[in-house]
Amino acid sequence: SLLEITDAEFEQETQGQTKPVLVYFWASWCGPCRLMAPAIQAIAKDYGDKLKVLKLEVDPNPAAVAQCKVEGVPALRLFKNNELVMTHEGAIAKPKLLELLKEELDFI
Amino acid sequence: MTSSDTQNNKTLAAMKNFAEQYAKRTDTYFCSDLSVTAVVIEGLARHKEELGSPLCPCRHYEDKEAEVKNTFWNCPCVPMRERKECHCMLFLTPDNDFAGDAQDIPMETLEEVKASMA
Repeated sequence: SLLEITDAEFEQETQGQTKPVLVYFWASWCGPCRLMAPAIQAIAKDYGDKLKVLKLEVDPNPAAVAQCKVEGVPALRLFKNNELVMTHEGAIAKPKLLELLKEELDFI
Repeated sequence: MTSSDTQNNKTLAAMKNFAEQYAKRTDTYFCSDLSVTAVVIEGLARHKEELGSPLCPCRHYEDKEAEVKNTFWNCPCVPMRERKECHCMLFLTPDNDFAGDAQDIPMETLEEVKASMA
């Protein structure tokens, strides 16, 4: 399942997790975020038992944005054992996104 | 319709016109999913009204007013002007997976997307 969070929950939802955490950053007037959203939803649904998927809107959440050094959206950050292991900026199709995740996650 | 709505629609029409002309001038195309294009044009129009310049809506800024003055991310941004790179996917080169074949977008598409997000 895809969980929408804010700055206040960011630390708690990304640190000390047993599952890897994929964070998806978006903005309301970002066209390519619309292309990305269905793929993120599908991944949250298909791999939700092994991967935690979080969604954050950039403008209301500047602290998480600064911490993850997000500049362009859509942006992705993957955390494993509290460490940032993958970053991506820009829209990509679902197969390409799966390939990126596969490099870090053996269950994909 | 209020006077601010009228102003809003004028800005939207101006951004639509800019996007169409610029795509033609640079041999770039809109996304095959025109709702993506519509969202970006509306985002640019909002920034134009709020900040005076069409700052890219696909980035996060700590200080939007400072970014407008800096001009780097005012549409068409420096990466677009120099290398035809538009990460907002408004202007796509024909080899892009997401490029469609349109360089025009109907006003109705813009209005529909705007209404759906209100």
